[in-house]
Amino acid sequence: MSTTVTRVIPADATACARILAEATRDRHTVRIVGAGTKSYIGDTAPTDVEVGTSRLGGVIDHEPADLTVTVGAGMRIAEVAQVLERAGQFLPLDPPHADEATIGGVIAANSNGFWRARYGAVRDLLIGTRTALADGTVALAGGRVVKNVAGYDLDKLLVGSFGTLGVIVEATFKVLPVPVASDGLAARFAHSSDAFAAAAAIVRGPSRAEACVVERGEGSAWQLAVEARGSAPTVKRAIEDSRREVAAHHGETRDVADDLGRMRELPARSTDGALVRVALPLAATAAFSETASRLESMATLVADAASGVVRVHVLGDDDAVIRDAEALLLAARVVGGAGRVERRAEHLRSRLSTWAARPSGDFLMRRIKDAFDPAGILEPGRAAFT
Amino acid sequence: MRGLIALLGPTKVLGAHEELLMYEYDGAVDTATPDAVVLPDTTADVASLARFCHEHHVPIVPRGAGTGLSGGAIPVEGGVVVSFARMARILEIDVPNLRAVVQPGLINLHLSTAVAPHGLHFVPDPSSQKACTLGGNVAENSGGPHTLAYGVTTNHVTGIEVVLSDGTVVRLGGKATEDEGYDLVGAFVGSEGTLGLVTEITVKLTPLPEDKRTLMAAFPTMDEASETVSAIIAAGIVPSAIEMMDQLAVQAVEASVHAGYPLDAGGILLLEVDGPHDGLDDVRERIEAICRAHVASEVRVASNALERERLWAGRKGAFAAMGRLSPDYYVQDGVIPRTRLPDILRLVKEAGVRHRLRVANVFHAGDGNLHPLILFDSRLGPDELERAKAAGVEILTACVEAGGSITGEHGVGMEKNCYMPLQFRPSDLAAMRRVKDAFDPDGLMNPGKIFPTPSRCREFAFASTAG
Repeated sequence: MSTTVTRVIPADATACARILAEATRDRHTVRIVGAGTKSYIGDTAPTDVEVGTSRLGGVIDHEPADLTVTVGAGMRIAEVAQVLERAGQFLPLDPPHADEATIGGVIAANSNGFWRARYGAVRDLLIGTRTALADGTVALAGGRVVKNVAGYDLDKLLVGSFGTLGVIVEATFKVLPVPVASDGLAARFAHSSDAFAAAAAIVRGPSRAEACVVERGEGSAWQLAVEARGSAPTVKRAIEDSRREVAAHHGETRDVADDLGRMRELPARSTDGALVRVALPLAATAAFSETASRLESMATLVADAASGVVRVHVLGDDDAVIRDAEALLLAARVVGGAGRVERRAEHLRSRLSTWAARPSGDFLMRRIKDAFDPAGILEPGRAAFT
Repeated sequence: MRGLIALLGPTKVLGAHEELLMYEYDGAVDTATPDAVVLPDTTADVASLARFCHEHHVPIVPRGAGTGLSGGAIPVEGGVVVSFARMARILEIDVPNLRAVVQPGLINLHLSTAVAPHGLHFVPDPSSQKACTLGGNVAENSGGPHTLAYGVTTNHVTGIEVVLSDGTVVRLGGKATEDEGYDLVGAFVGSEGTLGLVTEITVKLTPLPEDKRTLMAAFPTMDEASETVSAIIAAGIVPSAIEMMDQLAVQAVEASVHAGYPLDAGGILLLEVDGPHDGLDDVRERIEAICRAHVASEVRVASNALERERLWAGRKGAFAAMGRLSPDYYVQDGVIPRTRLPDILRLVKEAGVRHRLRVANVFHAGDGNLHPLILFDSRLGPDELERAKAAGVEILTACVEAGGSITGEHGVGMEKNCYMPLQFRPSDLAAMRRVKDAFDPDGLMNPGKIFPTPSRCREFAFASTAG
């Protein structure tokens, strides 16, 4: 096995497809790199070829009145935000690595933030893709209109596929007008049960907060951060309702800082130990978080109370980190959720694998993978079912 | 037949000619008679049936209520139709997790009715929601008027149990917002019964909005109505629904439902905004002002639930009301970027004139999802349907050329499979075919749908406009 990696940066979809066809012919393994912010995910090994998407950038189409935007996959999500802002619009995705992450990487890693319960996740906002495939063809899926059921929804398969099916070169999303008003609320609770009860009431209430997140970091307190955006009256109402729920559940409101930004960027900071990420049935979030907080190596926990996605950063000696990370994945499965070790220190890679179990339907996933990439060259070690 | 009866018992199998006739049509215009109809009670029944069909290489065609508008439930290549009429229970209403687990034969509206006491609802609300089933909604990825703000079926399904064509039972997803690995739930929803038989569905339940405002605005022409839609969106308002109807549609609706729409308007809009009570009247006032600035002759606001129901009854009963105008209609479902509405509506009108057929328009203007209802009279001869189809394909071609799609919510089925090359190139279709082969390698699930079939599509030789 060669140790030198060939780095190629195709200028367009056709060139990208040609590179993949050659790699298939030569049985060269391929890694796909946008900004490289999420290269820590998966049980990967070095590949023969690295395909960069940095030249597949730019806005391809944006008709503000249609509330859609088509961009190259190599464009940074922060740049997309700037372009849309000039038209008074935004792409309602707030993934981690907010400054660097590219559109292609956000789709491939199904990278979401705290807005997903309100506006939808990547799968809900993505309406079209153009993808270079391993056989050298380019496949278009979906389209540029907000409603479209013609043929299979291949876009859904690409979201979270980690490049194992092809290289996404272009994507179309639904966008929204920027809300005119915004406000936030932060609170502190002594007990997790109170924090989650307040969060659940806010999430289920009528006033539609944009984000509602519980954090347990240093110290023993549980922090709650709420964000509301919309028209001035709806924002005022959402914050009033949230404040009432905080008080009803023995919480103490405090000054708002950039709490959500800190909570969202937990994966970027978790270079040491291990970061476990699970998606749970909503009502299981509280008990799971309480259990997690009692683990010996628990350092930081961030629970999106609106979507049931919980991240736990475990730190400490290696054996404790591995034991606790595995216990968290098991606990998630027991309550009907699923998850992965999203990130772990380099030296733990050989001892702590990303997935503890195969997802249900793995045989179908393998068949799909084999159909799109028969030589198995694309992103080895990145799929949950291998 | 005998084999099926031996396998499942006589009460679950229909084979008499007069029984089969009930299953040879759906809500669209094509028909074909099944070889047998099976009415399973359980997932185990469905799996046994699939194994039997796999062994004998017999096609399987799933069927919900038969309200589909693209021939999805029609056994065009023969085989067994599986009706889910007896698998229609709500298995669980899980309020803390905001989920319900249901069987595929459950009627859409029955779910929302059952969860309403908990302050919840199932968002997708197709116009046929009093009859259509959740299984059918999953197959077609159904929409409805309120999908503009809240999404279509695929955005509200988190788990499914599926019987594959070889009888394998597999559970995909669950109650959590996502699972590890490929999003097979996302790939399955909208696959029109061609990948497997869905036997259980886990759906999201959404808190009911605290309040709503429903408005009807009448305009001298469809152009002004269309421009109003763009102006509302440009003002940063995303209503939960924006529906449009032309004069011919209004005449039909008023003759049957008496929704109170003005008969002299060239076009009307039905608009709804919802959410927390606070600020709703501000939004309503802004919408009213935009309507009046676009010379609306009348803006009427529903002042209570009864008036709101009446305004919606007109829209939801519009397809059924077409019987007042014509014995038959052929409905298209093309989608365009909403900024292209005025041009495309003109093209729709011209296509009708060219083929000497009247066209009524009732559609989801906010999504750019057209529903031209091409009126014809099959009693006058087979030429009538042929002309209706010819007008239909001209409209779909225009939609694709405008950057849109041949179907927004009715599905491809056997009605538009020959038109898929309008929108997709061979390499795009080849990618979809790989997914089909992964789920159903023997091609037994609902054959003759979605993909162009050489036998039926010979006469269509489209140059792809897909770039």
